[in-house]
Amino acid sequence: MNRKKQFTEGLITNNPVLVQQIGMCATMAITTTLFNGIGMGLSVLIILTCCNVVISAIRKIIPGEIRLAIFVVVIAGFVTIVDMLLKAFVPALSEALGVFIPLIVVNCIIIGRAEAFCQKMPVKDSFFDGIFQGLGYTCVLIAMCVVRELLGSGRFGGGLIDVANGFRFTLDGTGAGIQIFPESYGASIMTLPFGGFLTLGLLIAAMQYALKKAEDKKAKKAEEKKEAEK
Amino acid sequence: MNKIVKLALVLFAVSAIVAGVLGVVNELTYPVIDAQKQAKTAAAFASVLQADRFDLIDFSNPDFPTVQTVHKAEGVGYVVTSTFSGAQGNITLAVGVDNDFKCTGISVIEHSETSGLGANAASTGEVGVNFRKQFVGQDESIALSNAGGSIDALTGATITSRAITEAVATSILAVESLS
Repeated sequence: MNRKKQFTEGLITNNPVLVQQIGMCATMAITTTLFNGIGMGLSVLIILTCCNVVISAIRKIIPGEIRLAIFVVVIAGFVTIVDMLLKAFVPALSEALGVFIPLIVVNCIIIGRAEAFCQKMPVKDSFFDGIFQGLGYTCVLIAMCVVRELLGSGRFGGGLIDVANGFRFTLDGTGAGIQIFPESYGASIMTLPFGGFLTLGLLIAAMQYALKKAEDKKAKKAEEKKEAEK
Repeated sequence: MNKIVKLALVLFAVSAIVAGVLGVVNELTYPVIDAQKQAKTAAAFASVLQADRFDLIDFSNPDFPTVQTVHKAEGVGYVVTSTFSGAQGNITLAVGVDNDFKCTGISVIEHSETSGLGANAASTGEVGVNFRKQFVGQDESIALSNAGGSIDALTGATITSRAITEAVATSILAVESLS
């Protein structure tokens, strides 16, 4: 399988959130600070990759009738492991994401990829599919976080970047972020679910527009080539 | 019939393996998580009442169902933790009370309030610090400003603010009931 094609599919042409439109609930709920977005994105990436590999590895011994039940058990297992590890070693993130870490169990991206991809594909392809789809998801989360955090509270990199004593990254979520304009001027509605819907809707629209344009261009080129051949 | 047995066995085997792995991971992470919880509670106690040590005392009064624990700091006062419902879920709050039954500070230990609104009650930002500062020195007659008291509610989070204010009053009354 073509890795480059898999990469563009995960990040752009078949992006889990913007094109497949799955895994939207957490996307809207947690994208309020960059810290949350990156944390959630990486958690999903790790869980997705692990699940993809395991499901692909056991795809031949899973009876078709109970495949969904087995997928859910495997997914729930990895999610719980990540949940426990986060609680133990990155408690600030676990607190910020709250119930949305356990809820990755029912995140359609993971079961969707298991059903649509891993149960038919070899382990290696499934592994890269997990990485690329996870990256695609993370990128969307980061984009939404940046927009919502900036408009909602006038900040960039809340929880992750500390500028009080020189520039440094904080992994314990204590960094205040870079204040671009005073917090009280922010439209705090952007940090609420409403802002999530708005940002996500506009992002999806922009993505569809870009994809459509690219397609039109491709079609036009093909037509020109045809004309020239005549 | 054989088929059903086979399906059940496969599902059982997968579940058993996953459960085993989870058991191991839990064994490894539980002590760390527990230590963190204790450190967090200790930090919350230290931020609401200045004392060298806190001794858990027996408190079981059916009039105060929300009160979870009461710690006594000899000669200084008490720290009451209570769990009650906020706007979205349960809030666990530590309240420091001195020997004159005045609040010495509050700290939110656990909550699931709306980010940007009710969650400000626990935030380390200016909004949260100023909100919590208002409780210092209050007695059991504490109330929100719209109910005749002097506590300004958090913007857009009246339910959270009211729940916390009531919990502080309850905590003070709980300490009063001790003497």
